[in-house]
Amino acid sequence: MTSLPWLAALPWLAAAWLFAIGVYGVVTSRHYVHLIGCLSVCQSSTYMLLLGVGFRRGAGPPIFYDHPPGTPAVDPVMQALVLTDIVVGAAVTALLLVIALQVHKRCGLVDPQRLRPLRGPK
Amino acid sequence: MIWPVAVALAVAALSGLLVVLSRDPKRQVFALAANGLVLAVVFFLLRAPDVALSEIAVGSAITPFLFLVTLSAIAMNRTRS
Amino acid sequence: MNGRWRLALLALAALLLAPLIWSVASALPPFGAPEAAYGPAVNALLPGARNVSNMVAAVNFDVRGIDTLGEESMLLCAVVGAVVLLRGRRGEDRGDRAGRVPGRPIVERDDATILACRIAALLVLLFGAYVALHGTVTPGGGFQGGAIAASGLLLVYPGEDYSCWRALVPGTVLTVIEGAGALIFVLAAALPLAGGHAALANILPLGTWKDLYSGGVMVVVNFAVALAVVGGFGLLLIEFMEETRAPEEDPVPDEEDR
Repeated sequence: MTSLPWLAALPWLAAAWLFAIGVYGVVTSRHYVHLIGCLSVCQSSTYMLLLGVGFRRGAGPPIFYDHPPGTPAVDPVMQALVLTDIVVGAAVTALLLVIALQVHKRCGLVDPQRLRPLRGPK
Repeated sequence: MIWPVAVALAVAALSGLLVVLSRDPKRQVFALAANGLVLAVVFFLLRAPDVALSEIAVGSAITPFLFLVTLSAIAMNRTRS
Repeated sequence: MNGRWRLALLALAALLLAPLIWSVASALPPFGAPEAAYGPAVNALLPGARNVSNMVAAVNFDVRGIDTLGEESMLLCAVVGAVVLLRGRRGEDRGDRAGRVPGRPIVERDDATILACRIAALLVLLFGAYVALHGTVTPGGGFQGGAIAASGLLLVYPGEDYSCWRALVPGTVLTVIEGAGALIFVLAAALPLAGGHAALANILPLGTWKDLYSGGVMVVVNFAVALAVVGGFGLLLIEFMEETRAPEEDPVPDEEDR
């Protein structure tokens, strides 16, 4: 990179930062729904990392509708991985929200630091 | 041509921080929707239009709706019991 | 363990991992100069091999199609799990009255909202269908189109009241759509096996470049994924919304319900 050297590692550091604060949010959360939001921040760090790996300077998107095939394009495999990742993230978030709702219906509490493990029937 | 991407990545890091720092879940929903939009811009600048479309629909429309409905159901359940 | 110990452990882990993250971040190829070979190979070979212009859709539905099959089944399982958990607690009846939180004002739907949402819902549904159909040609595909169409289904709700929304967006139809999408995908992967080819092999004619029908089996798989995503997300929206209805044993309030 002719410009600043930290620009070469920017997406990896941004992804690590997002993951770190996501985990911090999960650890210090006092509301289950807030915890699930912080988990989605962790997931977005993986999107950034994957797309950053595939990016090529001066290249266009890997869609050859307007440009003939052979023009420089970024990596399409990474974008396919991130597409799958987004759908998986949405499904996991939905399931976690359902579980949070059921926990509240059963225990009346929604604070992860005050909940005790649920005991089965004796 | 890498400066827009760098600025967008920095804004995305900031919006992620805002999502975590919004402790009230009702405020966090809007932070999540804004985070989804910022991420969509980042994906668009990283030359990934498919991923940006998907992120807008999922991260700014469907996920915040699920969060809002869960919060509403929790509030209703709290008054009922 | 209480919160302070947890934070201390987290700080310790961050301290130990930070130099490792730094060394990994500097060892990765510099941003903008990737060294992978799979991507450029796909970009060079696939337009001629499959007659498609959207490389991401080609990777998702053809070259790495079994991956997408696994992800579709995961979406199906997540939706089934959410529906079972919610309905198991609540029962299968549809609540007719909106749940009420005492102390919160009941805001009547504004006419502008109703009009805007009715128009916007139709436009968004149409846009979702457009994006889903053009999966192999322009940016788009089954996932994107399905997610956009699902948010269009959601926009119908502010435009109508709840029972009308449930009548327009029926749960059984969405279940059938989702199952049909998953089934078509599995058949598209399994039928070539019965014919002696590889799983998800492209046995249909490949179509013309830049046409809506291009890519052979990719069109079928794209359609299946769009159906599955619309059905899955639509079911999630319906089941979640049903949680905000009042159960039958609540007393009927005096004001009109919506």
